[in-house]
Amino acid sequence: MTEQILAALARYGEPALFVVAAVASIGIPLPVMLLLIVTGSLTAQGTLNFGVAVTVAAVGSVIGDQAGYAIGRWGGHALVGRLTRLMGGAKRLEEADARARRWGGPGVFFSRWLLTPLGPWINLASGLAGYSWPRFTLWDVLGEALFAALYISLGLAFSDRVQEVESILGDLTWALVGLLVAAVIGWKLFFGKKATKPSAVQSV
Amino acid sequence: MTAPRRANLILAVAFVLAIAAALFFGVRAGRAVRHVHSRNEQIRGWMSVPFIAHTRHVHEEPLFRAIGITPDRRDHRPIRDIARAEHVPVSRLIDELETAVDKDQQKDQR
Repeated sequence: MTEQILAALARYGEPALFVVAAVASIGIPLPVMLLLIVTGSLTAQGTLNFGVAVTVAAVGSVIGDQAGYAIGRWGGHALVGRLTRLMGGAKRLEEADARARRWGGPGVFFSRWLLTPLGPWINLASGLAGYSWPRFTLWDVLGEALFAALYISLGLAFSDRVQEVESILGDLTWALVGLLVAAVIGWKLFFGKKATKPSAVQSV
Repeated sequence: MTAPRRANLILAVAFVLAIAAALFFGVRAGRAVRHVHSRNEQIRGWMSVPFIAHTRHVHEEPLFRAIGITPDRRDHRPIRDIARAEHVPVSRLIDELETAVDKDQQKDQR
């Protein structure tokens, strides 16, 4: 799959970048990080334009995110609600909704460019939790613009080391996700009993 | 075992697994950073000839000639497309390009 996607980027340029960025943001596992780094390398070689590439990648990603949010908000809630009623887990759905509200804007922003594997889940959860669409869109656009600019710039700076850089960044991302999960579980494990007071739902 | 104890045990196992995963990926990234300048980028089927020339710091013309293509800087076809057009396996083109890269690098060192 990676071969075909990168070959499409070499062949078609920005249109391929746009489609892959959008599809990956919906949650289909595509190598979008490597795609952006290779895009950066192609801008260093003069094949693509940096500004156009950043814009196209960011717009594609935002469109994919919006689709994920829409599924969660207008399609997903009814579907998930029916499923959870069948499975007797309505309380869990409420908890997930509350959690997505608590994460708010920063959750959307950081999952765009730093904790990227969580991005599609945050989109669905935000829609499901009924998180404000203008706020979601604002944090989404900021995060995706940073994501595209950051990774394309890395490709530009390390244009002769694209595969190495992608592998390092991929590992670092998963290390961060592991640390975040450990922090959340650790908090629940060690302070869970003390923190029984209901926390205020904040929307940033 | 009571339900709260079982839940705590599951959380503790998940905590250890998350820490182990973070360590594994962190150490792997650290090792890769140390070796980033000592490795050559592998030639892949999605790469074009100008892309390979750029990543391996060699001239494009000898690479085009090595695979029997007229040198053209604007030719950004992936090697897999060239292989399909020329009816040859991609692996053969990659081998020929690797040889051409080595030759060009040796020529530059002299």
